[in-house]
Amino acid sequence: MGKPLIHRSPMPGLGLSMGITLTMLSIVVLLPIGALLAKGASFGIGNIWDTVNRDRVWAALFLSFRLSLFAALFNLVFGVLLAWVLVRYRFPGRRILDAAVDLPFALPTAVAGIALTALHAPNGAFGSILGQLGWRVAYTQWGILIALIFVGLPFVTRTVQPVVEEIEREVEEASATLGASRFHTLRHVVLPMLAPAALTGFALALARAVGEYGSVIFIAGNIPLVTEIAPLLIVIQLEEFNYDAAASIGIAMLLISFALLLVINLIQVWSRRRIGHV
Amino acid sequence: MHIEIDEIAKAFGATTALHPVSLAIPSGALVGLLGPSGSGKTTLLRILGGLEYPSSGRVLFDGRDATGLTVQERRAGFVFQSYALFRHMTVFDNIAYGLNARPRASRPPGAEIARRVTKLLDLIQLPEIGRRYPSQLSGGQRQRVALARALAIEPRMLLLDEPFGALDAKVRKELRQGLRHIHDETGLTTVFVTHDQDEAMELADLVVVMSMGRIEQIGKPADIRACPATAFVRDFITA
Amino acid sequence: MSDASALARAAAPDAPRARAFRAATDESPLVRWILVAVAVTGLLVLVGAPLFVVFSEALAQGWSAAAKSLSNRDARSAIRLTLTIAAIAVPLNAIFGIAAAWFITKFDFRGKAVLITLIDLPFSVSPVVAGLCIVLMFGANSAIGGWLVAHDLPIVFALPGIVLATLFVTFPFVARELIPVMIEQGRAEEEAALTLGASGWRIFRTVTLPNIRWALFYGVLLSNARAMGEFGAVAVVSGKIRGQTATMPITIEMLYNEYLSVAAFSMAAELTLLALVTLLLKAALEMRHADQLAAFRRH
Repeated sequence: MGKPLIHRSPMPGLGLSMGITLTMLSIVVLLPIGALLAKGASFGIGNIWDTVNRDRVWAALFLSFRLSLFAALFNLVFGVLLAWVLVRYRFPGRRILDAAVDLPFALPTAVAGIALTALHAPNGAFGSILGQLGWRVAYTQWGILIALIFVGLPFVTRTVQPVVEEIEREVEEASATLGASRFHTLRHVVLPMLAPAALTGFALALARAVGEYGSVIFIAGNIPLVTEIAPLLIVIQLEEFNYDAAASIGIAMLLISFALLLVINLIQVWSRRRIGHV
Repeated sequence: MHIEIDEIAKAFGATTALHPVSLAIPSGALVGLLGPSGSGKTTLLRILGGLEYPSSGRVLFDGRDATGLTVQERRAGFVFQSYALFRHMTVFDNIAYGLNARPRASRPPGAEIARRVTKLLDLIQLPEIGRRYPSQLSGGQRQRVALARALAIEPRMLLLDEPFGALDAKVRKELRQGLRHIHDETGLTTVFVTHDQDEAMELADLVVVMSMGRIEQIGKPADIRACPATAFVRDFITA
Repeated sequence: MSDASALARAAAPDAPRARAFRAATDESPLVRWILVAVAVTGLLVLVGAPLFVVFSEALAQGWSAAAKSLSNRDARSAIRLTLTIAAIAVPLNAIFGIAAAWFITKFDFRGKAVLITLIDLPFSVSPVVAGLCIVLMFGANSAIGGWLVAHDLPIVFALPGIVLATLFVTFPFVARELIPVMIEQGRAEEEAALTLGASGWRIFRTVTLPNIRWALFYGVLLSNARAMGEFGAVAVVSGKIRGQTATMPITIEMLYNEYLSVAAFSMAAELTLLALVTLLLKAALEMRHADQLAAFRRH
């Protein structure tokens, strides 16, 4: 045997802290997730596949994933821009802007949902203007996209901001002394340095958006095959006490979450190997 | 290239980093700016490189006013104290960076870039490290890569900010010889900043002693040692 | 230096030249202006407008209509329920966070990375899936749930289920905030206290806690905001029984679906004020105690 399971240590509180940690982790997280997987196992892989392999479920999963991807892409670009502006520029109102980035974290999703709906509904402030241009947002996929952009807004900014703060000015100066234009420096020196953090934030925003429920259902319209998101399907199945179907879709979503978690970790390993630290 | 500094002064807000200083650097010289921290030596170097703008005064390259030239236009090979290597690029890409950054019309073809990078890696005596990343190099290797990167753009002069500051004593001695060798090989007008009087005296043809934003003395190392012009210089070089 | 050249310099002041100079690390003024404008406009549209709408809709029929909608029995019960849930879930979370951070940072054991990943897991699970897991575990159809219901201890569609769902979604907040701070601070101070003969509790109270208290407060703040605002997970486990298991966010949904806009937005405005206070405290903490917060230590 190599390493012992737990190193002996004079530090007090091993039993207590380990006990609380493992007990609460089990009751709150592991056992419930285990219950979902057990339900899936007893239902059988074939049955799960049959449940998921229906037009309405595929449409919902595809819709959730596709719009989440678009929202995360928007947030990737806008988030990097925001991080850059907030760290590098000084202008009146910067602190308020900085605090405002966190609002989607702090604001309950149901509140965001009804506020965005009121704003974009045909008689709302934005909805009436966009309506005149022939562009309907509320109760269409555009509405879902806006809600997903809202909830994912802080992730990229907050992961990229500390990296921008740490960029040594000398590296940018070095690029300039070698004759590179400012644009070339941003494109070939600054952006690659921000890339790992930006991708991590992108994956986090994507993971959040795929599972998002509260802010979306009000503005989505929830029309099957068109604007019905995957989490809503679970809720519908549960309301019909169809636990097997709910568990099947839940497992499909869990797999997507795990895949995204894996991607996030791979990004971090990759960046650590290339740049020497995260 | 002949460099002339004409009454250059620099203030950062209320603090004066440089009082008007003048200095002529003959073509091909190896000049050491020597002084304690806060003496204005790094500010002067950065003004030469175009990284700071003087509050007043002029810089002349070969007799032509270069004060208004941008960093990019100056083509000064600058070696930073921290080396400022691009961590996400290999050593090869670091050295090739300045050539790749040129506008398409004046950019050498890929094979030519590769040839020049290989030649520079030979010059710094590290021919095997092109595919490594900066994080995989020792401090001394990084310093030499930074030097090669600065040389790749065929600079008109070489400016080095505390080039050996972050290295241990043994490596420092070796690299001094390396810099001397490269200077003699390329014949570039070279200015380096140091707070280490041994380094300045051993390496430079011409030493400029600075203190509190003023030039205290300009002279050959032997002359400065033989007859220090001010009490400050005497104290500093015997310290 | 001749007088003529000195005169020439005086006649041609450097100020205009200096203004034209741009540091090598700056973008041109036009580019800066455009980027700031895009950032400000983007945030106004995406964040500012919804914020404004919450209050304007709540006050659409004046203050008294808004106040009245918050004072009926169901509304008061929802507010009470939400406060109760936060009062149970947040302290439990804080205790878990402290225990987990102590266990992870003060001891060396195999599988530490796995444990940290498991603690972070709830962040990447959909709240609806979280609620589903709890229903499957403790619902009347499951073995445990059936037994509990038979003994008159229902979890799903009752307070314990809502608390469990809230714990799930807020699970990583405190631990995630404390672990990096405690790693940074190392074990030396605790070890010193140990050699001086202090007991475990005493070390925690007098040595560790003062070093982590702002990070702890920060984590509690974030977990409280999420606990009071959670919707998806609670929607699944609560059963949405008006006056009994309808939290504030659930009540907002019910009022909104009944077209009681003023009432829905009045309750939303209350939660929005909570969010704004949270952000204010967060900004104050970040300004005054940045050195102690994990968010500022990421490398």
